[in-house]
Amino acid sequence: MTAPAWVGRSVPRNEDARLLTGRALFVDDVQLPGMLHAAFLRSDHAHARLVRIDAAAARARAGVRAVYTAEDLGDYWQRAPLLVPPPPVPGLVFNEATQVPLARTKVRHCGEPLAMVVAESRYLAEDALADITVELEALPAVTDLDAALGADAPLIHEELGTNLAAHCIQRKGDWAAARAWADLLIARKFRYDRGASAAIENRGVVAQWDRRAEELTIWDTTQAPIPIRNGLAAMLGLRESQVRVVAPFIGGGFGPKIMMFYPDELLIPWAAMRLGRPVKWIEDRQENFYATTQERLQLHDAELAVTRDGKILGVRDTFLHDTGAYDPYGLTIPINTQCTLLGPYEVPNYESEFTVVFTNRPIVTPVRGAGRQHGVFVMERLLDFAARELGIDVVEIRRRNYIPPDKFPYDHGILFQDSAPLTYDSGNYEPVLREAADRIGFTEFRRTGQATARADGKRLGLGIVSYIEGTGIGPYEGARVTVEPSGSIRVATGVGTQGQGHFTTFAQIVADALGVHPEQVDVSTGDTRSFGWGTGTFASRGIVVAGTACHEAALLVRAKALKLAAEMLEAAEGDLQLADGRISVRGSPGDAVSLAQLAITANPLRGAVKPGTEPGLEATAYFGPARGNAANGVHAMIVEVDPDTMMVKILRYVVVHDAGKVIHPVIVEGQIQGGVAHGIGNCFYEQLVWDDNGQLLNASLMDYLLPTALDVPTVEITHRETPSPLNPLGVKGVGEAGAIPTGAAFAQAVEDALAGTGIEILEIPLSPSRLFALVQEAERTHRR
Amino acid sequence: MIVEGVYVFTAPPAVVFEALLDPGVIAKSMPGTKELVAVGPHEYRGKMMVGVGPVTAAEFDLRIVLTELTPPVSFLMSVDGTGRFGFTKGQARVSLEPDGTGTRMNYNADLQVGGKIAAVGQRLLDVVSRAMLRSGLEALGKEVEDRLRGVGGKA
Repeated sequence: MTAPAWVGRSVPRNEDARLLTGRALFVDDVQLPGMLHAAFLRSDHAHARLVRIDAAAARARAGVRAVYTAEDLGDYWQRAPLLVPPPPVPGLVFNEATQVPLARTKVRHCGEPLAMVVAESRYLAEDALADITVELEALPAVTDLDAALGADAPLIHEELGTNLAAHCIQRKGDWAAARAWADLLIARKFRYDRGASAAIENRGVVAQWDRRAEELTIWDTTQAPIPIRNGLAAMLGLRESQVRVVAPFIGGGFGPKIMMFYPDELLIPWAAMRLGRPVKWIEDRQENFYATTQERLQLHDAELAVTRDGKILGVRDTFLHDTGAYDPYGLTIPINTQCTLLGPYEVPNYESEFTVVFTNRPIVTPVRGAGRQHGVFVMERLLDFAARELGIDVVEIRRRNYIPPDKFPYDHGILFQDSAPLTYDSGNYEPVLREAADRIGFTEFRRTGQATARADGKRLGLGIVSYIEGTGIGPYEGARVTVEPSGSIRVATGVGTQGQGHFTTFAQIVADALGVHPEQVDVSTGDTRSFGWGTGTFASRGIVVAGTACHEAALLVRAKALKLAAEMLEAAEGDLQLADGRISVRGSPGDAVSLAQLAITANPLRGAVKPGTEPGLEATAYFGPARGNAANGVHAMIVEVDPDTMMVKILRYVVVHDAGKVIHPVIVEGQIQGGVAHGIGNCFYEQLVWDDNGQLLNASLMDYLLPTALDVPTVEITHRETPSPLNPLGVKGVGEAGAIPTGAAFAQAVEDALAGTGIEILEIPLSPSRLFALVQEAERTHRR
Repeated sequence: MIVEGVYVFTAPPAVVFEALLDPGVIAKSMPGTKELVAVGPHEYRGKMMVGVGPVTAAEFDLRIVLTELTPPVSFLMSVDGTGRFGFTKGQARVSLEPDGTGTRMNYNADLQVGGKIAAVGQRLLDVVSRAMLRSGLEALGKEVEDRLRGVGGKA
């Protein structure tokens, strides 16, 4: 094949015409004749025993078609499945407690659903919620991670006899020896707190049971339509072929939409079948603060052992992870933390121990970064403190510890979230760091820039940190590529799409293989009727796994087309070329046939298709990478801190990243810009605040601050391309990269701006008032 | 949420104590209380309207129980309110001591607020509860003075 014509170019996006003119279908756009609307009664208490629930008055209200409590679900009431079994780490403890459709004996977090009302309108359904009488006997709430493990702590899941959800230790080398050898030990405690994923579109489900066709259609804001179909078919006693799940356009996924099964996902289809009418539920913004999963409270106690030259001898990290009231997602987040901490560095000795704790807060599952930011924060902060103690600059200490480019594949000696060894496929880290340092002007800033600004009364600070993003894990995805008789190409794949630009990037990949324009390639994602095999969109894997499947399927179609064309044109396949939708004989451009003609010829009405061949120009292919690959990058920012108000303004933000081969630069830049916005929100704006009773105190966008366009600078992005050897396109994922190292870079920059106050930043998120308190505390300690 | 403070009445402890056990007076001292009726010895039920920020006029079913009564020195008041927009639950220790010819009342309440009213009204909860307390105490003071002067009488 010749050099790619389309991959690597920022072509106009295929989906934009639909999105910009309001023709794209979102779940809430689904309007069906006779459609009913659901609303959920949610617990006001974080931890309580359900004494009595009486829905008689609600059922009697005009316009109400049904009210369901746990008792009304009969056999359908069951615990949701465990989504990700823990990896086979020796000695690992995992206590499974997955969520239930409606609370039956007790509630375990605020907002846990107690009943569902189905009525002629959402208005009526919400009114009817007030008619339900619930008697809850409040129990003491478990909110503190340390106290949760105490002998006298109230139990969230009595049957487990403990609030411990999991315990895991991974080791390599000999930490104790490294510690003994060290010239310098840095020991600190860190905190990384919870936020909401805050997608612009909340979750929603619409279900319709077609009595005549005996088919159930579900529109769901899920990132995983195929597993939703498979699970619901099993639970509802239907064949998988009777259930169609459509995940149409979705306004942001970010991880919580890969979670399943949410109570609403179980109950809306069930109610639609029972009532014989379509049922719709759209989550409102306040519900989203309770009914959609969140991340990311962890408390770390970590030590770094280094030589006087700043070479890492080892790291020990012990942390507590808050999983909320249930643990359906297994250990993905804490394992990610454990693995990502190692970053791009050679760490010969490592001891990482984590304990996962149940609390009376909503469920924790991955949100963009999925535990990676904690690991990066701990490691990068430890390196910052070591650099300061040793008088080495923050760039140099990182450079000295990078895995050199000749050591790939590099095995870190522990297990990753996909249960495969944590082995980095490829990378070249030093040039990334150098370029980021140059672009942000590190040397000049240190030499004169910061001091000059300081003389003008401005407190500027610079932060520069590295990260690894493990991406593109298995098990597999598939794609079917079809040349239609019109000559246009149809691609169907199972992953859902939530704004990643799949309609364009998959089209570019296929267009290159088939010699057509990407506009001629029509991509279908997230509809189980179009393609029924696959797992979903998570772990920055869409382009790596589904993109490669598209590539492989397109190559099979290309081979079919060339074989057929060779017969029609009476030429050797090697003499044929494929371009502009036509196959022609090299040197004889008049001898040509279009893909459209080939598609028609390949599907004859008479004659005989030869044994061992297939009709049509169509092929399906699957791709399952042996393991995930490792993207990497460096984030650098310059901030200005107002010493009076402690407001932080980000003046510049530089990202140099390497996610392997770039398919569409602008889409990748959009992912990074959006990720950084998410990261900045996490650093300085967004924090879910809970009281000791498990009450969320800021469940609205008035009090839960999202960063706006005024707070997020335009990110200056440079792409570097070290291809992944684990797939033929050489691609790695990039969906989470922007959000991962932001906290570490922000902490370093703000601390730098406040140098002289003695402040050390050991926590994220920050806020002006929190920074003010930290500075006061540091100044008090210094005076002492 | 801890609410505590001191209030001085012009009436002696016995008059204040008697007033504080009267559901009519309690209702007046809790702004927004629509009705409060005795359902048992020192146990009252009623309805109360509370508005906090975006939650305008939420109706709570109110249950108040007075225990540990030591006339005219102290009692413990337990408040339990539940409604569509959340709940409130707490206990207040009220103690009286002579202050010249009047009475000095110390109150100390530990109040738990949950549900929507806590989730979206948090920013304003403190301000609203202080304002409610202030107007409640003023109403209470006036009621006690009226009693002392012999107007009003039993509510």
